[in-house]
Amino acid sequence: MKTTLILAAFGAMTAFGAMAQDAESPFKKAIEIRHGLMLQLASDMGKLGAIAKGEAAYDAAVATRAADNIAAIASVISLDQFPAGSEANPDLESFALPEIWAKPDDFSAKIKGLQDGANMMQMAAAKDGDAVKAAMATLGGVCSACHKAYRQPEN
Amino acid sequence: MKRLFLSVAALALLGFGGFLAITRPAHVDAAAVAALTPDPAQGAQLFWLGGCASCHTAENAEGDARLTLTGGKAFVSDFGTFHAPNISPDPTHGIGGWTTAQFADALLHGTSPEGEHYYPAFPYPSYARASLQEAVDLKAYLDTLPLSDRANTPHDVGFPFNQRWLLGGWKLLFLSDAPVLTADLTEPETRGRHLVEGLGHCAECHTPRNALGALDKGRWLGGAPNPDGKGRIPNITPAKLTWSETDIAEYLSSGFTPDYDSAGGSMAEVVVNLSHLSEDDRLAIAAYIKRLPAVE
Repeated sequence: MKTTLILAAFGAMTAFGAMAQDAESPFKKAIEIRHGLMLQLASDMGKLGAIAKGEAAYDAAVATRAADNIAAIASVISLDQFPAGSEANPDLESFALPEIWAKPDDFSAKIKGLQDGANMMQMAAAKDGDAVKAAMATLGGVCSACHKAYRQPEN
Repeated sequence: MKRLFLSVAALALLGFGGFLAITRPAHVDAAAVAALTPDPAQGAQLFWLGGCASCHTAENAEGDARLTLTGGKAFVSDFGTFHAPNISPDPTHGIGGWTTAQFADALLHGTSPEGEHYYPAFPYPSYARASLQEAVDLKAYLDTLPLSDRANTPHDVGFPFNQRWLLGGWKLLFLSDAPVLTADLTEPETRGRHLVEGLGHCAECHTPRNALGALDKGRWLGGAPNPDGKGRIPNITPAKLTWSETDIAEYLSSGFTPDYDSAGGSMAEVVVNLSHLSEDDRLAIAAYIKRLPAVE
């Protein structure tokens, strides 16, 4: 599991690295890692989302694997990937707001929220499609709560 | 000369009186309100649809705190700064002392219990499309929420906008409970229209405004500057929003875009509100949005 995760993060890092090769920011690596983690999250959310929207039939194995991945990523995300000063930087496609370092305890609480939401999704994934749909709304709320507080709008 | 002046003054007074008479604050029919049976459970759904908590809670309220409608958030506009009032059921500082008819006057006509016009920062131009039954249900639900004794902050609005009687003219020009999308709609699309154009008040942010602050119905839901300042509120007509109906409904439930990015800005809070609706209602909203005329 962890190996898959590291490989996924590494793959995404390479992709983002190519885009940001001109930037010489000391935070380049941290930003690439968090982008990789978010892309892997989105990929697993997509598998569960397809079930929630009725585009894919509920499959316990698929849902469980996606939910386990999300829980694993949630356990990796921490302030480690958000070193102080690694805030919004257009060259590195970072939209992190400086509020992260003004309120580190709340930021950590938001990460804890993701871990709790992921655990709820693991239970739902083992149950049925309706449970996945309900857990999707909870998990989406968790994602939005953190993005609303700590991510700069892109438009 | 003097006589002419007097005649002009008399005419002006008559005209002014006529203006006030035509534009006096409107009221609901109290007998019709009394004949309705309130359904607070239905009112809870309308509370989330109307997004009352988005403006009337304290700043950054989450979870149960989103049920205490203490007011106080500031809304900066071209016309001045408006402060959301306390609409908790506190009898002195909130609206607990209001009759249901007074509440319906406020929601559907923008008329205060003192018989004054409200500023349309309170989105009654949309709420006007709600039904009297919905107003009655919503009041019944609001009455069950926690009390707050926070005193209201007066609006900070300069001349001439501090002359509330002028709003009578504004209402005459712009206030209408007629539907905006008049195409031949299916049943879910019609339901969606009622939700979006009425209590959902989506257009208040997603539609641009004219110089007098009224919504430009020719560019309905075609995107607008962000009232919070930065960036733009997106165009959600088919010219720009190409998501499927299920994608839209899922976004309104979980906040996930089809790429599994999540809703940001003030929309994040709207999603929290709309996640309380039934899936059928979210699909009805999506069906309506897909029928909108494209705004390029």
